[in-house]
Amino acid sequence: MSDRMANVREYVRELPRRPLLAVGALLLLAVPFLFPSQSGLATEALIFGLFAISVDIVLGYAGLLTLAPAAFFGIGAYTVAKLVVDYGQSFWLGFPLGIVLAVAVAFAVGYVPIKRRIGNVYFVLFTLAFGAIVYDFTYVTTWLTGGSDGLGFFSPPEVLGIDLGGATEYYFFSLLVVAICGYGLYVLIRSDYGDVLHATRQNELRMRYLGYDTNRELMIAWLVSAAISALAGAVYVGLVGIASPSMVSFGLTGDVIIWIIVGGTGTLLGPFASAIGLVFVQEFLQNVWQGGYRLLLGVLFVVFVFALPDGLMGLLRGEE
Amino acid sequence: MSGIALITVDNFVTYALNGLSRGMIIFLVASGLSLIFGLIGLINFAHGAMLALGGYGTYVILQVMGNFWLGLVISVALVALLGFALERKVLYWIYDEPLLGFLSTFGIGLVIEEALAVYFGSRSYTVPSPLPESAQLLGVSYPSYRLFVIAVGAAVALGVGALLTKTRLGLEIHATANRQPTAEILGIDTARIYTITFVLGTALAALAGALTAPITSMYPTIGLDYITMAFLVIIVGGMGSFKGSFVVSMIVGQIIAFGWLLLEPTYVRILVFAAAMVFILYKPRGFYGKPEVHE
Repeated sequence: MSDRMANVREYVRELPRRPLLAVGALLLLAVPFLFPSQSGLATEALIFGLFAISVDIVLGYAGLLTLAPAAFFGIGAYTVAKLVVDYGQSFWLGFPLGIVLAVAVAFAVGYVPIKRRIGNVYFVLFTLAFGAIVYDFTYVTTWLTGGSDGLGFFSPPEVLGIDLGGATEYYFFSLLVVAICGYGLYVLIRSDYGDVLHATRQNELRMRYLGYDTNRELMIAWLVSAAISALAGAVYVGLVGIASPSMVSFGLTGDVIIWIIVGGTGTLLGPFASAIGLVFVQEFLQNVWQGGYRLLLGVLFVVFVFALPDGLMGLLRGEE
Repeated sequence: MSGIALITVDNFVTYALNGLSRGMIIFLVASGLSLIFGLIGLINFAHGAMLALGGYGTYVILQVMGNFWLGLVISVALVALLGFALERKVLYWIYDEPLLGFLSTFGIGLVIEEALAVYFGSRSYTVPSPLPESAQLLGVSYPSYRLFVIAVGAAVALGVGALLTKTRLGLEIHATANRQPTAEILGIDTARIYTITFVLGTALAALAGALTAPITSMYPTIGLDYITMAFLVIIVGGMGSFKGSFVVSMIVGQIIAFGWLLLEPTYVRILVFAAAMVFILYKPRGFYGKPEVHE
């Protein structure tokens, strides 16, 4: 087993990166033509992939254990839905507004806990409470969020003669957003800032002695993550056409944490790939064994936590 | 709102008793969580699933044997056994890594809840009250079963409180929580103390689940609602403080029982959560927390 695994690792390491990237990109571009009936699902998978990356920035790189990523996803989704459904405004206005709102809320919520450097345990519980508040709030403020009915239905508009309401068109739109954001986050993590973040997670005290304002660095990661999560939510609501409380639920938070652990925390590509893979597995399993998906997901998660804590990427990269 | 006008002497007693019975259930959940966190430093996210198992176990045994009390006792015993196996075989190995502990209990809880959802479906179940009659108390007629819940909660509070403060075992638990290596050197079998505490905490969650089954309907994720509240109760009360979780559970129970007169119940919950967030930031050791508590 370990021999074969070593062979796989060797093989992966020797694979030329650039051609592989090109093949991956071509595959993503070809999905709507190869599997036209699956465009909607592929779009959903891509968006969740982006969401997983954005949460990985906080969870994997900054080392802030958050239980509230769905809150920011939901803020993006609900802002777009609210503007379109209730105020009749442009679909596009919701994107910047949702992001600004998410960043503002993230700043308000995260400022004190990050500044006071409450421990991991307290950060988990703090974000748990925040997530619960946002969920309850979404349910109870029927005048604002539509309560359990949500806000719907609408479809994305036409842009430059392209009707984004079509499944293929929206797939390419999502792919564009995901590609830009994904690449942007990759550059951010590869930059000096990424190194600072990495070092801060390893030894925050030493970084402070070296003169870095670690609170500011963590805050930046927290805000960037909230912004991208909100953007993912905004794109997602365009796909499904309705904002509903499930988008701010702990179920979604649980899903995104599972995607990240299975893919490998702090690897960007791992969570992205595993989110996409697991969305497809879910769709497949739902036809075979109704309701069994989440059970299997839980089992898979436990197996990864105990046996492969570095996730799939850790498995492929091996000990480093 | 016109809610205030609803308060008469009779209603006041009824609401207070409602708050008491609800507070007792929250207390059972919170005290188990608090024991496990205070001693082991583990954020046990599987606690809610244990509560759900206690409730569903009671339901199943009631169906099979036709006796609620038997169901309550057996299901609590079975869940305690599961807690024992879980602690010995799985969690014992990861106490040094809080992050892994959080993730693994989260995963284990998810597996249990989804297994319940697959087996029972996500619809909710109700258990008929084993004490359908009402008792006369302070001039109001009040369901006997809820009085029973209050009595059980009070008995557990006194019993476990005495266990922690008056017995050798309680002393060993305190010693282990404070300085595990020192306790070990002084001859305490700390592995055994960990196991006992985890099993006790789990049994309290199962008891809460079994007791709440005839009051509220059961669904697979019922535990999530309770542990969110319970986590916040133990923060405000002070992590690891048994007394703190009792006092704050009672307060929260009354706030929920009377709060709806002024606000919608969900807003009351939001306010309670918001208060807990403020506590986490500015008074993380709560009312009764000790400075030694794990960070």
